[in-house]
Amino acid sequence: MPTLETNSTLVRDEYKYGFSTDVPTESFEKGLNEEVIRAISAKKNEPEWMTEWRLKAFRRWLNMKEPQWADVSYPPIDYQDICYFSAPKLENNPEVDEELKRTFERLGVPMHERDRLAGVAVDAVFDSVSVGTTHKEMLAEKGIIFCSISEAIQEHPELVKKYLGTVVPQGDNFFAALNSAVFTDGSFCYIPKGVRCPVELSTYFRINAVDTGQFERTLIVCEDDAYVSYIEGCTAPSRDRNQLHAAVVELIALEGAEIKYSTVQNWYAGDEEGRGGIYNFVTKRGHCRGRKSKISWTQVEVGSAITWKYPSVVLEGDDSVGEFYSVAFTNRKMQADTGTKMVHVGRNTKSTIVSKGISAGRSRNSYRGLVQILPGADNARNHTQCDSMLIGDTCTANTYPVIECENSTAITEHEATTSKISEEQMFYITSRGIDEESATSLIVNGFCKEVFKELPMEFSVEAVKLLELKLEHSVG
Amino acid sequence: MTTILEHESGFWAGLNEDAFSGAAGGEEGVLRERRTQAFQAYRSLPLPTLRDEEWRRTDPGLFPFEAVSRLANLGEIPFPAASDLDDRFDVVIAVTDEGYAIRDNRDGKVCGLTVLPLREALRQYGDDLAACFDGPAVLERDRKFTQLNSAFWNVGFYIHVAKNTAVERGVLIRYEITGRNALVIPRLIVHAEAGSRARVTEYYQSPDGQAMMCIGAREMYVDQAAQLSLYAVQEWGNGAYQIAEDWARVGRDGQIDWVTLSLGSKISKMMMGCEVAEPNANAFMSGLFFANEKQHIDQRTLQKHAAPHTYSNLLYKGAVKDEGRSVYQGVIAAGKGAIKVDAYQMNKNLVLNPGARADSLPGLMIDADDLKCSHGSTMGNLSPLELFYLKSRGLSDVEARRMLVLAFFEEIIAKLDDEFLQERVRADVNRKIG
Repeated sequence: MPTLETNSTLVRDEYKYGFSTDVPTESFEKGLNEEVIRAISAKKNEPEWMTEWRLKAFRRWLNMKEPQWADVSYPPIDYQDICYFSAPKLENNPEVDEELKRTFERLGVPMHERDRLAGVAVDAVFDSVSVGTTHKEMLAEKGIIFCSISEAIQEHPELVKKYLGTVVPQGDNFFAALNSAVFTDGSFCYIPKGVRCPVELSTYFRINAVDTGQFERTLIVCEDDAYVSYIEGCTAPSRDRNQLHAAVVELIALEGAEIKYSTVQNWYAGDEEGRGGIYNFVTKRGHCRGRKSKISWTQVEVGSAITWKYPSVVLEGDDSVGEFYSVAFTNRKMQADTGTKMVHVGRNTKSTIVSKGISAGRSRNSYRGLVQILPGADNARNHTQCDSMLIGDTCTANTYPVIECENSTAITEHEATTSKISEEQMFYITSRGIDEESATSLIVNGFCKEVFKELPMEFSVEAVKLLELKLEHSVG
Repeated sequence: MTTILEHESGFWAGLNEDAFSGAAGGEEGVLRERRTQAFQAYRSLPLPTLRDEEWRRTDPGLFPFEAVSRLANLGEIPFPAASDLDDRFDVVIAVTDEGYAIRDNRDGKVCGLTVLPLREALRQYGDDLAACFDGPAVLERDRKFTQLNSAFWNVGFYIHVAKNTAVERGVLIRYEITGRNALVIPRLIVHAEAGSRARVTEYYQSPDGQAMMCIGAREMYVDQAAQLSLYAVQEWGNGAYQIAEDWARVGRDGQIDWVTLSLGSKISKMMMGCEVAEPNANAFMSGLFFANEKQHIDQRTLQKHAAPHTYSNLLYKGAVKDEGRSVYQGVIAAGKGAIKVDAYQMNKNLVLNPGARADSLPGLMIDADDLKCSHGSTMGNLSPLELFYLKSRGLSDVEARRMLVLAFFEEIIAKLDDEFLQERVRADVNRKIG
């Protein structure tokens, strides 16, 4: 992901990623029906089973209702008024290629192989298609597959067939079903047995076109004793219309495997009045299938008009570990309903949840979580901490945890607090000659430290800067 | 399940127009008015279903609404057999399926305390009753069972504590229902006027194996600088179904100590809402629940902070054993402008054996900034280390467990300011540990 230098220039403005790129694109007509799905599938030259898989999901979706339980409100979405496929015209067009490269360079995403210093392999997704993946050869030497999901369907159908939809089934929920029907691109990572992925794998998602929905599908599989650290970044241009991003991410960790998944989500969040911005309705779930496997989610959520996202872990393998570290920042009229689910199935499974919510402006910020200890989860252990910080008296912070315990040897702890920035801390710092804004920033960073320290280093620095920037207009 | 309940007429347990006319028969003034309003509301509200968040963990279909029949309005009867509790209170109300009786132990020594059946209260305290019946304490009006109670209550009492008076021993209301598919709908209104201090204790009992249902509602008003203690000891038999929706409103400098002990019943669904409504109001809510065998105890609490400088502290401790199941749902709600608020909510659970289940859903809903709200929740079994320690001192496994469970609950039991009651509860807990 972005290096320190590129970022410091990028974060100077409030939403520097708000520009749009002018490239010739090919888009489908708005609307959704079986024909559109067949067309997407044909466009990607998919085998018959994949088309059928999509259609099955679509038929289920038709009978599903949009969930209403989240603590967010938005006008009804017209699913027929969305364009489900939009791609830059790449074929034999070096100019477009250059333009895209420039876009990603501007976003701080190193697209040239020469940027090896960055130490990451990148898959860049522009609207509905992946426009390039770096470091493929180096990874291939180790047997690691890192490519776009479309490519994986072509090149590694047996793997995709084996794992796709096994963690988030087609009919899991409304948005997951929609995604299963129309997903266009996303990343596929496969780490074979015993391999420790030497670089961080990263996908950068960019929405560019107007009225397009982005439906990413990411699938990460770690075989026995393998390890991978995966990073995801997201931005979109500032537009005054809402756009839908409905992603599905599936993680599978087999025996002794470890997946570390980090996100810095900075979709365009809308303007002061709440016009525009991305609706980020995402289903992310990990499955610790094998013994002693581990899945760790770290997320920094600073963008999106509405966030609806619960990265979860199903702890099936004995001795498996699930972690969730989250910072969710909302200001202006943003709404975030986010949290996690930890489902303890196997014995000696452990989970840790650390959630930090910061609300400012007129935003709503909710934590919603489930810790479920099933009867067979002997000696399961959970520790949850969710803290909310309020900046200003017009925002809202809610906490809705659910703890279900069906095993008498399990131990769970949950603690949550809501408060504003401590006046004493403020007084102490300002008495040392530091201005109020910097003092706030220091305190907020301290508040989020537990989460930031879980991020890969460069990412952590970026997250701190991003938060500072977002706070700039929220204080005072 | 819900289809059975929402059959064509929209009524169950025979709670239709006829039953309403029967209930309201001969009644006048504010009581009739409230019944009529509540009946309209009750009719327009749907029965809760498993799809309602609050009822997701307790299927309303498990309540045998069709099998019970509402007792006709209870009248006065001679005082039934005395209980060993009776002498410890100033006024004792005994309620059976036959009727109610009130015994006054005061010999004219305690003044300021008035205990009346609702119909009597209408004559003597009509204005106050109008203010306190379905008054501002009822924070959520769209509740089927609160409205059901207001429309169909068959036994009701009004307790009034006059300004600046202190009532040490207080009032005991004991319900002894023999079962036989009776539906009891008790209503209680307590008004502690400014500067007063009082204690109200309720005791619920029914024989094991007898089917019955109780749909209760209480309203408590604690005025400026008043202090009210409310103890509810629920020892229903294992055939009893209970729904209770209780509301309290605490005024400036006032304080409520609300202790709920849920030991009996087959299925119990309770709602306890408390509003600390004016500055410096203070609420202490405590709960003990113990579900064993096939018991199911579901309780929801609401700590509502509507004014600046208000305080609340909640501690609910529960244990589940055998195939017992418990649900605790709690919300701290701080509205706009509720600054300098300090609210705490703690739920601790013991899951004593495989097969038992406890759910905990603490919650915070905060719309103000300058405050401190927090909650905590724990689940687990007895500490193996503590067990080992006790056993190494010569205690048997059973004795050690018993001691630790009792110690776990002692924090709540100690909140009852009455040693005799404390012993009763300890004995109950002991019996349930088995």
